[in-house]
Order: sequence, then C-alpha cells, then structure tokens
Amino acid sequence: MKVFSNAETFDYSWEEVSTANWRKYCPWNDKSTHVVAVDTLSREVDAATGILRTERLITCQQSAPEWLKKIMGVSMEESQMLETSYVDPAHKTVTMVSANLTWNNLISVQETVVYKPLNEHQTQFTQDAKITALCGGWQRIKNSIEDTLVKRFRENAAKGKEGFEAVLEMSRRVFAEEREREKMMMIMEQAPNIRRAEFAEGMSV
Amino acid sequence: MSQSLAKQCNEVKERYDTCFLKWYSEKYLRGTGSAEDNECSTLFKEYSKCLQVALKERGIDKLVEDAREDNKDNDAAFLGRKKCELFQVAS
Repeated sequence: MKVFSNAETFDYSWEEVSTANWRKYCPWNDKSTHVVAVDTLSREVDAATGILRTERLITCQQSAPEWLKKIMGVSMEESQMLETSYVDPAHKTVTMVSANLTWNNLISVQETVVYKPLNEHQTQFTQDAKITALCGGWQRIKNSIEDTLVKRFRENAAKGKEGFEAVLEMSRRVFAEEREREKMMMIMEQAPNIRRAEFAEGMSV
Repeated sequence: MSQSLAKQCNEVKERYDTCFLKWYSEKYLRGTGSAEDNECSTLFKEYSKCLQVALKERGIDKLVEDAREDNKDNDAAFLGRKKCELFQVAS
C-alpha cells in the first residue's frame, strides 16, 4: 500500500469553499479535464445531526501508461469513483470519501478529503489517498502500479488546486453580482413611488 | 456545471444542480434548509429517473451498490451513528 497526502490553504471562507466545491469540475476549471462527468446519485439531510450526505459518481477519462494497459489487458481510459460526502454545518466541516468502482478487483483507491476553516477568511484542504494493488504476482509489479497511481494523484492534485482557485474566484464574482442584482431588485420593489428617471439619475452619480 | 455521464440527462441535471446550489448557499448554510422535501426535490427525481436508466445500461448500478455496502463504516464515523443503529435502519 502507498499513501499520498496533500494539504493546501485557500484564501476563501469555509462557506465559499464548501459551496464552490459542488462545482469544482465545471467549465471554469480548465485544469482538471480528466474529470468528464459528475452525477449526484443520492442526497439527504440527516434528521438527527443536520449533516448533508451526498453520493456522487465521478467519471474520469485519463489514459494509463502503456505497460500498465498491457498488464490489465484493457484500455483503462474511463474509470469511476463513488464519492460520499458529509457536510456538517454546525462544525463547519466537509468530509469526502471516495472509492474506485472500476477495476476494484485489481486496485483499491480510498481517498479522504476534508475542508475545515482556518479562520473566517481561510480554509484548509487536506487529502489522503491509500492506493493498494491487489493483483497477485510479483511485489515489484504491484509496487510499480502503486507508484504510477501515486504519481498520477500528485499531478492531478496540483492541477486540481489551480483549477479550484479559478472556480473560487469565478464563484465569488458571480455571487457578488447576484447579491448586487438582488439589492437592486429590492430597491426597485420597496420604492415604487420613486420615479424611474430619478432612480437612474441617482445611480449615475 | 459539470456534464452528466449520460448526455440525455444533461439538461435536467443542469437545472437540478443550479437549484441545489442556490438552496445550499442561501438556505442550508444559513440553517434554514429542511430535509429532503425542498424546492429541488421534483427536479432531483426527474434527473434521477433519467440517470438510473443509464447506470443500469452500463452495469454501474451494481458497482455502486457494492461500494455503498463498503462505505457503511464511513457513515457510522461521519454521521456520528453507532453501527447497530445503522443496522436497524437497514433491516
């Protein structure tokens, strides 16, 4: 078994990060292109704890090294992970655990990601992945498979951080615009007596 | 938003994702989001119906069931439940 660990700090509040996390793999993220589809399978709020539990199916497309394809005997281009996440708003924690659905008789990938606030404006991201080649045979081959996947995790993590930064920036901008729009709507609704002309004049000052 | 695994579900998925994100940021995080019965549940049912067909066709539904079974320990740990309680819910 090999372990890949990673920690990052995002200069955004936990609320912003936990919201943007739902669209981490949208077109705003042009770095994590190996994630081609994200589907929500189930979602519920636990009545006792208030924790939001979500199951998502993550579909990746990334070609494996040639030697690994030969051993596996398949092209290995498309693979799926089941991600189960738990949002605890009371403790401000997002925990996401993922396991591979594809080739799970050959390889086991168990990943845990946690988002926690460092302070009001910063959020800590920690990632742990346990990678185990299960196939019988030479230890040397198992080690090579595990090393290859750890390397892939490291590359994807670096791209993921960069891509998520872009999503966070866009989310903040879009939410600010949305708030501005809502504020305008409220002013328009609450002040029906103000003539439009006066309003326009006031805004242009 | 991200794509669906099944192209035919993209349109309803997009509408559901947008609805959920609004609910999450404006209600749930502010402590006013109630359980399943929220404004997005009809959209989710529609999206789910579409997706289930695609998962079955590709044989992914079985893989998901197995993985769900393996995830019971995580549910116990992160939902703060005891395993016996989970067992009661399941049985």
